[in-house]
Amino acid sequence: MKVLWTSDYEIGIGVIDHQHHRIVDYINQIYDHEGAGSSRDATEDVLYKLLDYTYSHLAFEEALMEEAGYRDLAFHRQAHEAFTRQVNDLRQRFDDGEAVASELAEMLQGWLLRHIATEDAGYCEVVKRKLLEQNPRHYENWVEKSVPQYFN
Amino acid sequence: MKWSSELEIGIPVVDSQHKRIVEYINQLDVARREHSDREVKVVLDELVDYTLSHFAFEESLMEEAGYPFVNAHKKVHQLFERRVAEFQRRSEAGEDIAKDLLHVLTTWLINHIKGDDQDYSGVVKANLNRATQNMKARKGSWFNRLFG
Repeated sequence: MKVLWTSDYEIGIGVIDHQHHRIVDYINQIYDHEGAGSSRDATEDVLYKLLDYTYSHLAFEEALMEEAGYRDLAFHRQAHEAFTRQVNDLRQRFDDGEAVASELAEMLQGWLLRHIATEDAGYCEVVKRKLLEQNPRHYENWVEKSVPQYFN
Repeated sequence: MKWSSELEIGIPVVDSQHKRIVEYINQLDVARREHSDREVKVVLDELVDYTLSHFAFEESLMEEAGYPFVNAHKKVHQLFERRVAEFQRRSEAGEDIAKDLLHVLTTWLINHIKGDDQDYSGVVKANLNRATQNMKARKGSWFNRLFG
């Protein structure tokens, strides 16, 4: 079922929220293609974009945790690796011609929403405090708020 | 792969580099269709060199602008570099990787431009504008022509 993105899914670090939102958009596109009976090529195109972006997102997050000295980094890495293996298994089945696109989208969706609600909430505060070195409220709209300072 | 204004992030020097990468991707596609293994290897090597320089350039823009997620972006760049290096290795071992590689490159470039680059572009643009004003005041307008 399609995911309706709401502010409840935001963890308050703009760049991460943007990445999560983009992943959700791709998941929804897969459901759209599956529902509309699109060609396998069309589904494959979105699926590859989704997986490519998900892997980038995981690398981005791990780098943020590492830089912020987050204590549960090792645990997160293991969780990311296990998840990547599961995704790769399903991707292999898709490449072998099985109709598993929806299954893959559902798995990513379940994982992403759990990941936002539990794991990400844990590292988010540490990243805001240690990496951004400001009161978290300053970073609600980091880019917009930081622009004026560069003009002065 | 067609270049369109949708792919622009609004920093001319970065946009022209992305455009150049698209041209390489298209050259690679031509070489693949013509079954020219030698040409595929030549274009692939040039593409890799150019992309690495592009990453270094982007990272320096982010650093210069004080963008706080520069290290995380570097990690994503490294992840991509490793993937492409693996393709190069397979290509050198004689495997026909052109089709898979094209798919990965196109997918990655769109994600990279529409996702990652949008986030840093605001801060970098503001920083470049400020630098441009300073340079114009001192040296005339060459800086503006390059970055404006």
